[in-house]
Amino acid sequence: MTDSDMVFVIDDDESVRDAVTNLLEAVNIRAQAFASTEAFFRRGRPDTSCCLVLDLQLPGTTGLQFQQHLHRAQIEIPIVFITAYGDIPTAMRAVKAGAIEFLTKPFQKADLLSAVYRGLEKDRAYLQQRAESAAMQAHFADLTNREAEVMDLVTEGLSNKEIAWKLDLSEPTVKIHRSRVMQKMQAGSLPELVRMADRLRQNPRQ
Amino acid sequence: MPRPKLWARSRPLLAFYGAALLFVGVSFLFSFLLQRFFPYPFLFFFFGAVMASAWFGGTGPGLLSVVLSTVLVDYFFVPPFNSFSISPSAEAYFGAFVACAVVASWVSSSKKKTEQALVQARNDLELRVSERTAALMKTQGELAHLSRMLSMAELTASVVHEIGQPLTGVVTNAQACLEWLSAGASNVEKARRSADGIVRDSTRAVAVLDRIRSLFRKSPPEKEWLNINDIIDEMMVLVRDEARRRSVQIHILLEQSLPHVRVDRVQIQQVILNLVVNAMDALNDSVIDDKRIFLMSRKNRHDELVIRVEDCGVGLAGELRERMFEPFFTTKPHGIGVGLSITRSIVEAHKGQITAAARPQGGTIVEFTIPIHPDDADD
Repeated sequence: MTDSDMVFVIDDDESVRDAVTNLLEAVNIRAQAFASTEAFFRRGRPDTSCCLVLDLQLPGTTGLQFQQHLHRAQIEIPIVFITAYGDIPTAMRAVKAGAIEFLTKPFQKADLLSAVYRGLEKDRAYLQQRAESAAMQAHFADLTNREAEVMDLVTEGLSNKEIAWKLDLSEPTVKIHRSRVMQKMQAGSLPELVRMADRLRQNPRQ
Repeated sequence: MPRPKLWARSRPLLAFYGAALLFVGVSFLFSFLLQRFFPYPFLFFFFGAVMASAWFGGTGPGLLSVVLSTVLVDYFFVPPFNSFSISPSAEAYFGAFVACAVVASWVSSSKKKTEQALVQARNDLELRVSERTAALMKTQGELAHLSRMLSMAELTASVVHEIGQPLTGVVTNAQACLEWLSAGASNVEKARRSADGIVRDSTRAVAVLDRIRSLFRKSPPEKEWLNINDIIDEMMVLVRDEARRRSVQIHILLEQSLPHVRVDRVQIQQVILNLVVNAMDALNDSVIDDKRIFLMSRKNRHDELVIRVEDCGVGLAGELRERMFEPFFTTKPHGIGVGLSITRSIVEAHKGQITAAARPQGGTIVEFTIPIHPDDADD
């Protein structure tokens, strides 16, 4: 648990909202309550690890709709759903759409906390991955065009000789480019570089 | 049959024979006194005595007075006087007298019998009517109760939610309270605030339970002076969540400081519940975008409170709308059609009226009135 962890509680019912916030604070988790999804959306997610405890039945947008809304807005945030009437189909849909947990009110402290901890854990992993990916993008941007070409072909599995022939270069030149690429991308080994290339190909520019 | 009963029955019978003697005696006295003023003996008093005896005492006393009169008339008024013999000239006259006396006695006693039978029949009928009415009232009460249960059944999810929310507050606050306390004395204030939350939320849950319990209770009608707006607010707690689940918005527009009215709380809640659940059903159709219900209270110029429920649904055709308060009329696939007819009988029991009209912009308006001063202070 780090000090920067934050849990956002969204429930239109004051009793539930206040109680959940109170419980989280009692176990040393910073928590902030919102009466509506709109109020939370205006605030936005912080760059530190966080997690959402979201009521499924909200006036206006339901919890599931808000989950989709966040997806479309490309806002990643782990969600723990809470509901007064848990029906299995809704729970399935929520969990399939990436929810951490689906708790029926009234829930036990252990269940809520375990879900919240898992949510925060997932968010930390996500943030770390996002930071790595951002760093990798930055490194990639540092490459010259020729180096980027070499990286592309190397990670496709071509040998230096083949690359030299393809790019009309001498083999020693390819070797120099290749070591530059390894250096700039901070890759320790060829397999690591291949993984980086895969990730870059998945989302070329963020 | 126990003996005292026989005694009780024979005593008035003896009195009737005594009365027959008395009547005959009195008419004899009158006839005797009037004898000197008439050329013929004036015997009509005896007919009166016979009729009266037969009327009050029936056949027995009637015949007794016939026999007595005959004997007296024969002895005192039919020549030769002061003798039981009858002169030939007076035979026809005496015969006519006896025949008239017998007929008078018979007519009078049978007329009395008919009348008694009539009275008996009327009493029986009244008794049966009151028995049936009581049975009907009981049935209606049970039907109203059943209909209440059905309405409540429609709201089960809503009710579960309304109790689940505060209970979640209680459980969660209690756990938080324990955490604060175990963390040390410095958190006593936080623990106390958690306990406050527990008290507040459990009070809320109890209030919801009370409301449901009163609707489920099968109690005889009980009128008290109440604020109609409070009744509406209490009902809305039970309906609120159902409306949310059906994406229906309920707009509540209550006129403030309305006078109190003398009503049965549960019955009026049932009326409001029925009307609001019906309005929500009217909006169930997925083609309806405008899922709004207006619930209003006001006072009109005739010293009545008017409670109006408006929905923005598709509405009902004129002839269906006219029939909607009839028993067993329903447009719902699984409805049994008792809700609105019970609603109407409740409103009428409060001396009010219920009407339905088409909403100009689409939908239905149902309105009922409750007089502030019902004319009779019966109950």
